[in-house]
Formats: sequence, structure tokens, C-alpha cells
Amino acid sequence: MSGPVNDPAPDSYSAGPLLSAATLACGADVDLLLEQVADGHARDQDVHQQECVHCQAAIGELDGLWGPIVELAASPVPTPPGLAAAVTRRIRALARDIWYTLEATDIGVIQIASRIVATLARDSARTVPGVRVALGRSTRDDLGALIERATFGHRHPHAAVGVLGRTAVVDLAVAVSYGPPVHDVAREVQRRVITTLREQVGLQNVAVNVTVDNVLDDEDD
Amino acid sequence: MAAAEASEPEVADAYLVASAQQGYIDAYELLVQRHSAMAYRVALRLTGNHHDAQDVAQEALIAAWENLPKFRADSSFSTWLYQIVTRRALNKVSRGRDVSLVELLPEDVADPAQEPAQRAERNLAVDAVTDALSVLPFSQRVVIVLHHFERLSYAEVASVTGSTEPAVRSHLFRARRALGTTLQEWR
Repeated sequence: MSGPVNDPAPDSYSAGPLLSAATLACGADVDLLLEQVADGHARDQDVHQQECVHCQAAIGELDGLWGPIVELAASPVPTPPGLAAAVTRRIRALARDIWYTLEATDIGVIQIASRIVATLARDSARTVPGVRVALGRSTRDDLGALIERATFGHRHPHAAVGVLGRTAVVDLAVAVSYGPPVHDVAREVQRRVITTLREQVGLQNVAVNVTVDNVLDDEDD
Repeated sequence: MAAAEASEPEVADAYLVASAQQGYIDAYELLVQRHSAMAYRVALRLTGNHHDAQDVAQEALIAAWENLPKFRADSSFSTWLYQIVTRRALNKVSRGRDVSLVELLPEDVADPAQEPAQRAERNLAVDAVTDALSVLPFSQRVVIVLHHFERLSYAEVASVTGSTEPAVRSHLFRARRALGTTLQEWR
């Protein structure tokens, strides 16, 4: 931009034509002037602006135009009083059936986070010879669908598991080593996971769905 | 009791997020308490009415909970929530009203401490800006609200909108002109 232009400026700029112009008569960029004003720097003027009648008039006009926007931005917005409580209620309702299995005994209630069930199942599956990786996947069979509804599709990232009362459905996606019969490995995964969950968690009805979706060579680590 | 609680140092969002990801609902409730005002405020500016803003804020905070296992700490929780609120507001604005959602609030949540005459006068200017915002294209409204109302930097706006700083700045140039022109026409 060249130095200040001392041509007579209009008495005042009208914002309409100003906002449809790319530059002022002095060459100043209107977008940059508006950015300066809107960011609250109308008074932080460079040497050119301090001496230029065009810039002075334009900054004054834009500052007046932008004033109500600043005022609205600074106005407090009252938050609806029930908002946080409504969210909390929904989340507690979602979570109640997700995280715990319930067992009522005559001396109290036992609750176990379903993610513990998921972790035990996954770790148990990994102890089976021939299993390289065990991962959770979502359940789609009838019992699974029931639990899917109860848990609202909310699954712990570590493994897919649905727990309702003392019934659990666990889905595991398994990658096995090349060599041992895949069917035998999958049956052993089911057997060990069911045994583990019955013995360690006390679940009575356990279904374990195993999907073998990868066979890895020894070098495929 | 309240004074003692107020003097406790606040735990960081990141700690609460990590705890919530492990299933501690209490931690997420604290995050909701911290950020629900922001979610509602941004939703109100973007949708232009209280009913939609409540729906958007509520949906966004629940969606954030449901997607918490996928959240990675490469951005802040608030930036992530801005993203969710913005997307939900866009859905709401483009689909129109969804009357099946629960409506929590009375129509008017005005500050009762304000004198009626003062409120009426101020509301004229404020309403003009609110109306002018509502006729902007959504992409322009978003950058105005995030930068000029929420005071996010260009980099933060770029992060929320999945854009770049130069693109945000360019959008802002157009949005300011459009907003200014509309306000000028109504002056």
C-alpha cells in the first residue's frame, strides 16, 4: 500500500457501497479493515491508517456496523436449567445395563462391570494354542439382539460383550495360526471362555460366538 | 461446604475423559456440567431457536458419551464437542424440525433481572443480529459463531470444521461482508 492519500474523503462512508468494494480510494483492502474491526482492533491503527482520511472514515463506519454483533456475542446465554440433568439421566439409563451383571444373594448384590467379562473372555481366548489374536465384534443373533437392545449398541472397545443378569453373549473375532484345524481351535476357544466366565464371574448362561476371520503364517506378526 | 468445594483445584478435562472412557459415569457427568452451557450456546447461535438448540445440545452430549471409546486425545474434549454440536446443528437445520424430540424448556429464557424497557431496547439490536445470522449460509454462520462469538482462533475453527486456516480466513472474509451487508440493509 502506498502512503496516505489526502484526497478529500466523503463526509462519511456509507457501509453499503463500502462492503461491496474491494479497496478504498487509498488502496486499503476492505476485507482486512473489516477483519481488524471485527477482531476488536479498530484502534490499533498503523501509520497509514492514522493519517488516511479514507481509512479513518471506513474504520469508523465499520466499527459502528459491527457494534451490535459484539454486543450480542458478549451477552450471556442462560443455559436451560434441565439440560445437564436430562443428559445425565439418559446416560445413566444407557449405562445401567451395559456395565454390570447383577447377582442378588441373600447378603447383598454383586455387580461386575461387563468390561471385566469382556477382558476375561478375550484373555481366555488368547490362551488357546493356535489363537494369535482375539477381538470383540458386535452380536447379531436373537439373544444377542435382545442384549444389543438392552445395551443400546454401546460396547466397550476392548471386546464385544452383552451382559444381562447372569446371561452373557460374547462375540470374538479370532485370527489363528496356519496349521492346526481351525474348527478345533474355535471349539476350544468357546469351551475355555465359557469355563472361565462360569468359574470366575459366576455367569450361568454363556454363549460364545467365534468368527475366525484370519489365518496367519508364522511371519505374519 | 460449597466454599470448600469451590477452593478445590479443578481436574483437567483430559483426566475426566480418560476416567469416563473406563466407564466412570461420574467423570462424564462433570464434563457435561462443564460443557453443557457451551453446547447450548453454540447450538442456539447456529439453529436460531431455543427448542432446536436444546435438542442439539442434548443429542450432542449423549453422542459424545456414546462415541467416547473412539475419542483420541489428539484434540481437546471441547474442540471435539464443538465438532459434534456443529454437525448436529447442521443436521437439524437441514432436516427441519424434529418434533419427536423431548422439549425441556419454556420458549423464553430471558434474564428476569433486566428491566422490561431496557430489555426491549437491547433486544432490537440483538434481534437484528440474530436474524441477520440466521439468513447466512450455514458454512458462513459457523465460522462467525466459532470465531467471533466463541473466540476460537483460526486454527481452532479449522480443527472443528475439518478445514485449513486459510480456508477459514477466506470464509470469514465473505461471512463478515454478508453479515455486515444484511445488517446495513436493516439499519
